[in-house]
Amino acid sequence: MTADSQVATLSAEAITIEERTPFQIVLNRFKRHRLAMVASIVMLAIFGITIFAPVIAPFKIQELSVNKYFAPWGTVDEETGRTHYMGTDNIGRDYFSRLIYAGRISLTVAILSVIIAETIGITVGAISGFFGGWVDAVLMRFVEFMLTIPTLPLLLIISSMLLRNDELINIPDPILQFMGNILLLSPRDSRNAVLIVLVLAGFGWLSAAQLMRGTVLSLREQTFVEASRSLGASNFRIIMRDMIPNAMAPIIVDASLGLAGYIVGEAALAFLGFGIQDPVPTWGNMLSASQQFMLDRPWLPLVPGLPIFICSLAFNYIGDGLRDALDPRLKL
Amino acid sequence: MTVFYIRRLFQMALVLLISAIATYTLLNFAPGGPLAGLRQIQQTGRFQITEDDIARIRAYFELDLYLPYRFMRWFVGWPTGPVEIGGREYFSDVVVGCRKPVETEVLNDDGEYEIQVTGCNELVYMKDLTGRRVSRGIIRGDFGLSWRLLRDRPVSELIISRLPKTIQLIGLSTLLSLFIGIPLGIYSAVKQYSRFDYIFTSLAFMGSAMPTFFFGIVMILLFSLIPKEAGWLYVPAGLSESVRGYTIPLLGEVAAGSVKDRILHLILPVAVLTIVNISYYSRFVRGSMLEVMRQDYIRTARAKGLLERVVIMKHALRNALIPFITIVVFTLPGLFSGAIITESIFAWPGMGRLYLLALGDYDYPVAMAIFFIIAVLTVIATLLRDVLYTIVDPRIRLS
Repeated sequence: MTADSQVATLSAEAITIEERTPFQIVLNRFKRHRLAMVASIVMLAIFGITIFAPVIAPFKIQELSVNKYFAPWGTVDEETGRTHYMGTDNIGRDYFSRLIYAGRISLTVAILSVIIAETIGITVGAISGFFGGWVDAVLMRFVEFMLTIPTLPLLLIISSMLLRNDELINIPDPILQFMGNILLLSPRDSRNAVLIVLVLAGFGWLSAAQLMRGTVLSLREQTFVEASRSLGASNFRIIMRDMIPNAMAPIIVDASLGLAGYIVGEAALAFLGFGIQDPVPTWGNMLSASQQFMLDRPWLPLVPGLPIFICSLAFNYIGDGLRDALDPRLKL
Repeated sequence: MTVFYIRRLFQMALVLLISAIATYTLLNFAPGGPLAGLRQIQQTGRFQITEDDIARIRAYFELDLYLPYRFMRWFVGWPTGPVEIGGREYFSDVVVGCRKPVETEVLNDDGEYEIQVTGCNELVYMKDLTGRRVSRGIIRGDFGLSWRLLRDRPVSELIISRLPKTIQLIGLSTLLSLFIGIPLGIYSAVKQYSRFDYIFTSLAFMGSAMPTFFFGIVMILLFSLIPKEAGWLYVPAGLSESVRGYTIPLLGEVAAGSVKDRILHLILPVAVLTIVNISYYSRFVRGSMLEVMRQDYIRTARAKGLLERVVIMKHALRNALIPFITIVVFTLPGLFSGAIITESIFAWPGMGRLYLLALGDYDYPVAMAIFFIIAVLTVIATLLRDVLYTIVDPRIRLS
C-alpha cells in the first residue's frame, strides 16, 4: 500500500459521518427536548399500567365491598386478602382499580377520537387542497361553518340527546363488541364510549382538514409532484405517495396536541354529566363524583384529577417536542 | 369591500339559520322530552291519564305539530293560522300535525318490543292554529315560554335574571386578564431567555394545559376548604352570595347578601377564569412581540437613539397588538362557553349553569334560547374580527 492511498483513506474517514436515517435524526432532535422525553416516559408508564389493568387491578370495577364505604388507603379485604390500595368510594367500590380502568377508558376514547378525526381531516384536506375549484369551496365553506358554531354548547346538546335516547343511533354490534373488548366492558356499557368518540371526532377533524389543505396547497407546486405527474402517476397515487407522507409532520404534531384536547374534552363532558355515565368509570365522572365529598375528604378530587392534568400536560410537551424535532420552522 | 361585507353578512345569517335548524331538530327529534315523566305515570297506572289528557299536554307543548311548523312558529312566530287575503282564508285545510298518534308495539330486529308511531287518529289542520298562543319568534327577541324550570314564565325573564351574573364574571375576568396578561407577555418578550421568561413561559404552558374544571376544584381546595378547616383566612366558594352570615378570620363578620359577601364570592370564579385567560393572552402577546422585535423598523428606531422604553411601548407594542385585538374579540363568545364549566364548579347562578340545568331538565326553549344567543355572539364576533383586521392593519385586503 502506497502512502498516497493511505492519505486518501484517512481523509475519507475523516469527512464521512455516520449514516443516519431521517427517523434517527428526528429521534435525536426529540431527545434534546428534555421535558418531552420526561413526558414520553410518564405516558409510557401510564399506558403500561392501563394496558395491564386486569393484571394490576385487584378488584373489578363494579365489585362492591359491603359495609366498606370510604375505607382508608391500604385496607385489606378479609375474605379474599386483596388490598384496597386507595381505599373505596362512597358505595364500596375499589378506588385504585376504578382509577386504572378509568384511565384505560379515557385514553382509549382519546386515541380512537384522534385516529378517526385525523383520518377524516387528512382525507378531506387532501381532496380539498389537491382538486381545488368547487370541491375545495364546498368543503372549506362547510369546515368554516362548523368552526363558527360554538363547540362546547353544541357538544353538550348532542351528547345529552345521544346518551338519553338509546334508540336514536344504531351502532352495529361488531363495533360495540370491539369497543367492549378493548375497554373490558360489556358491549352495552361501551355504547356510551363509542358515542363520545363519535361526538369528539365529529368536531375534531376540522382543524386537521384545514392544516392538511394548507400543506397540500404548498406541496402541489413542488417539483417532485410535477415529476411524478410527468411520469404518468394518477391523482390517487400522487396524493397517497407524494402528498400525505410529506404532509405528515404537522399532522403528527396536531394529533399529539389533539390527544391532550380529547382527554380534557372527554373528561369535561363526563364532569358536567353529559359524558360516559357512572357505572363505567372515567377520570371525568370520578372527579365529578368526588366533588360532593370534598368537604369531608378534601384530597379525594386530586386522585382522579391529577391524571387528567398529567396526561394533558404530557401530550402538550410531547407535541411541543415533536414540533421541534420534525420541523423546526413549523409553527402551529 | 362593501360587497365583501354584504356577502359575509349573508353567510353569517345562513350560519345562524342552519345551526338553529340543526339544534332544534336535534332536541325535538328525540323521543321522551317533556312527556317522559308522563309516560311513567301512565305505566304505573296510579293515575288515570286518558288519551285526551295526553293530547292536551302535547298540544300545550306544541308537540302535536310537525317539526317544520313547530320550528317556524318558534323561529319567526308564523304560521298562526290560515292566511287571510281579501276576506278569504287560504291553506286552512293543510295538515300541520297529529293530535293523537297511534302507537303500537313493534318487534324490532333485536327481538325487543318498542313503541313506534304507526299512524294518526286525529289530524291538526292549519285552521286549528288560530287562537293558539304563539311566541313572536326568536328572531324578534321572543324566546317563548319556559317548559319546566320556571313553568309558563317567559324564557327571557329567566335569562335576564341570570345574565348580570355571567356578565359580572366574564367582564371582570376579561378586564383583569388583559391588564395582567399584556404586561406579562411584553415583559417576558423583552427579557427573552431570562430566568423570569423561563419560569413564566413554563407556567403559562402548564396553565393552558390545565383543565378548567380541575383547576377550579384545586382552587377551592387551596383557598377555601383547607384554610377554613385550619381556621385561617379563607375565601367562600359556591353560589354568588351566601345564605346566612359567617365570620372570616381577619375580615370579621360578613352579613349574607352584603356587598362584602358578594365580592368575596366573586374572587374564586373570577380568579379561575382570569388565570386561564392570562396564560392564553400572555403567550400570544409574547409571541407576537418577539416577532415584531426582529423587524427592521425596530432596529431603525433603536439606531435613531430612541429610549428603549419608547421603542418598546410605541413602535413594537402597537404592531404586536394588532393580531391580539382580533384574538380578544374572538375569545369573548368563547368565554360564555368557558363560563359553563366555571359556573358549574362554583354553582354560580349564571347563564352557563342555566344552560346545563335546562338541558338536564328537558327545558328545551331555555336551552335553545341560550344556545342561540351564544351562536349570535359568536357570529358577531367573527364579523367584528374581519372588520377590525382591515381597520387596524390596512395592508390586509379581504376578498
